[in-house]
Formats: sequence, structure tokens, C-alpha cells
Amino acid sequence: MSTAMNFGSKSFKPRAPDKGAFPLDHFGECKALKETFMKCLRNNNFDNSLCRLQSKDYLECRMDNQLMAKEPLTKLGFKDMMDPPPSQADTDPKP
Amino acid sequence: MTEDSTKIPPPGELPADSASGVDRLQVPGMLLPVLLRPSLCRPRASVFLTRCVRTLRCDAPMPPPLSRAEHFLLRRLPPRLHAQSRGIESRGRKSKSREEEWKSRNKTGLTYIAAAGVGMLGLSYAAVPLYRLYCQAAGLGGTAVAGHDAQQVETMTPVKERVLKISFNADTHASMQWNFRPQQSEIFVVPGETALAFYRAKNPTNAPIIGISTYNVVPFDAGQYFNKIQCFCFEEQRLNPHEEVDMPVFFYIDPEFAEDPRMARVDTITLSYTFFEAKEGQKLPLPGYSYN
Repeated sequence: MSTAMNFGSKSFKPRAPDKGAFPLDHFGECKALKETFMKCLRNNNFDNSLCRLQSKDYLECRMDNQLMAKEPLTKLGFKDMMDPPPSQADTDPKP
Repeated sequence: MTEDSTKIPPPGELPADSASGVDRLQVPGMLLPVLLRPSLCRPRASVFLTRCVRTLRCDAPMPPPLSRAEHFLLRRLPPRLHAQSRGIESRGRKSKSREEEWKSRNKTGLTYIAAAGVGMLGLSYAAVPLYRLYCQAAGLGGTAVAGHDAQQVETMTPVKERVLKISFNADTHASMQWNFRPQQSEIFVVPGETALAFYRAKNPTNAPIIGISTYNVVPFDAGQYFNKIQCFCFEEQRLNPHEEVDMPVFFYIDPEFAEDPRMARVDTITLSYTFFEAKEGQKLPLPGYSYN
């Protein structure tokens, strides 16, 4: 733990999150999408790669309800799931 | 040797017999301690001194015939006596100059010591920014984690071969009354892929409680590859009475994790959150070495 008095050995240094903290979803606006995501996880043996669509939906819901700063989803690592914009039709989407 | 000045015969009783100059020689010998004393604290003895000197000088204008040794001694003694009488002053002068020399030496020594002390004090104040610079340059203590680039989220590609299990743990402080637990016990991710996980917190009491959390990643070395894009830590979160909320954590494992030889055997990373109760108006600093 980071508070252990083991001087000289490595300890964990917590870092602040890149985009700060999520505001709390007091009204449960995105709860339904969260449940979908959790169900997907349970069905797929908790494999995150198979449930990325649901996590993308959840984050979009958050952004729509002022619970998250609006950002292009490519910046959140969903580049592979976004359709390329029409101006860049020559670039292939990653599988 | 007579220590007591009262034992010295008064001047009138000085042996004036001219049988031999030895008596006369003895007298100055007896008077030597007296000669030293006057410089210290006996004004009366100094009177004796001057009188005796006078008697020695003025007395006996015709010295008696002396033997050769006595002659020799007599020749030698008066200069010494002279020297004695003058010696006090010259010794006084010498000791004065020596004293002055000591004083000046002490003064220079003291100034050097004082300068060293002030220098040490200044060095201890300067050590704080200097140490900070050194640590950033040398990367000691894990402070130089400057390689964490927020832009790489856009461009990173998942390393599909390396599947990691992230297990979740939730703790609360003993006095914290929230019910806090993860909604999934584990999740399988690959480095370079963003992942979402949920915790749930419930406030079962009748009063609003403000909580603040911190996290921990085990193993420690893997913790530097664990990058959180957004979570619910380090900021106060308020829960109204009987309210239950979902708390997401959006994170990814750095793709360089797959290339680190030290991480070759790491398959499980545990993320542990701990909630504490926050006091009103308390401002906690964000973790990090530089305080903005």
C-alpha cells in the first residue's frame, strides 16, 4: 500500500485522472444503459472487448445529460467504432 | 619561600652588614616573589619594591671585595633585577599584544563559524527546489512519470494478444457509513483498449454524507501503466440520505505494458478504491509532485 512504511522499496503513487472526476448520476439518467452494459459483460464472461459498444452508448448518454464533458469519441479510444467522417472517406476504419 | 608579604623584613632591617654580598644577593632572591606580586594586587608590596630597589642601588657605594663567583653573580643579577622591574611592564605589553592577537584570532574564527552557520541555513532552504529539480531530472521515487501522454488515447492500438484480468476491490474507512462495492468482480481487458467499470455506493443513513476516495493499484509496477481517463476519485462526492448511485471508472492500460519485460509475468491487476468521509470545506491536494 502507499502508506506502508517500507522506505526504499517502491510504493504506489496515485495519479489524478486525465479528465477529472465523473459527476455523480444522482437521477439515474443513464442507469438503463449501464444495466445493458453490465448484462453484456455477464453474458460475455466479463470480456471488455465484446462490450465496447455498450460502453460507448453509456458514455454518450452521460455526455448528453451533462454528466460528462463533451468530447469526440475518438479521443476516448473509440476510434475503431466510429464511422469515418465523409470528408475522410479514403481512410479505412480499423476492425 | 615566603608567601606572606608581612614576613618580609622592613627596609630598615635589611642586613646591611658587608660581610658578603651573598646576603645582599639573598635579599633580592627573597624579594623575587614580591616583585611579581605587585603587578597583581599588592600596592604595599610595590612600595617595598621601590624601596628595596633604591636600597640596593643607593646602598653600598663601595662594594666589598667579592669572590670571583660572587662577582660573576653580582654582575649577572642586577641586570636581571632591572629586567625584573622592567619585565613587568614588558611582560604586560607582551601579554597585551598576545591578548590582542588572541582576540583578533578569535574574532576571525567566530566570523568564519557564523558565516558557515548562515551558509548552512541558506543551503537548507535552497535544498527544497534543488531536490525537486534533481528528482525530476533523475526520475527518482517515481516522480518523473512525464511519459504519460493524454493524446495517445486517440492513436493507441490494442494489443490483442495480451489479455489481462482487472479485479476490483472496494473499501471504506471505518467511520464511513456508505455501502460501497464494485458491480463486477473482474473484467478482462487488453492493453491499449479503453474499458469501463462500475462501482456502486449507497448512503443508508438519514443524513447526507460527503465522501472522497483514493485508489491503489497492485502490483505497484503495473500501476504506472494504469491510466484513468475519468473516475470518481479525489473529488468530493455527496450522497443524499438513502441514495444509491453508480460510479463509473473509465480507464485503459498503456500499450507499452506489453513491451515491458518486467511485466511479462503480470496477468492480474487489482484496482482498489477506498472511500473516506470528507469534512466540510476541506481541500485536499491532488496527488502529484508539483503543487499548482
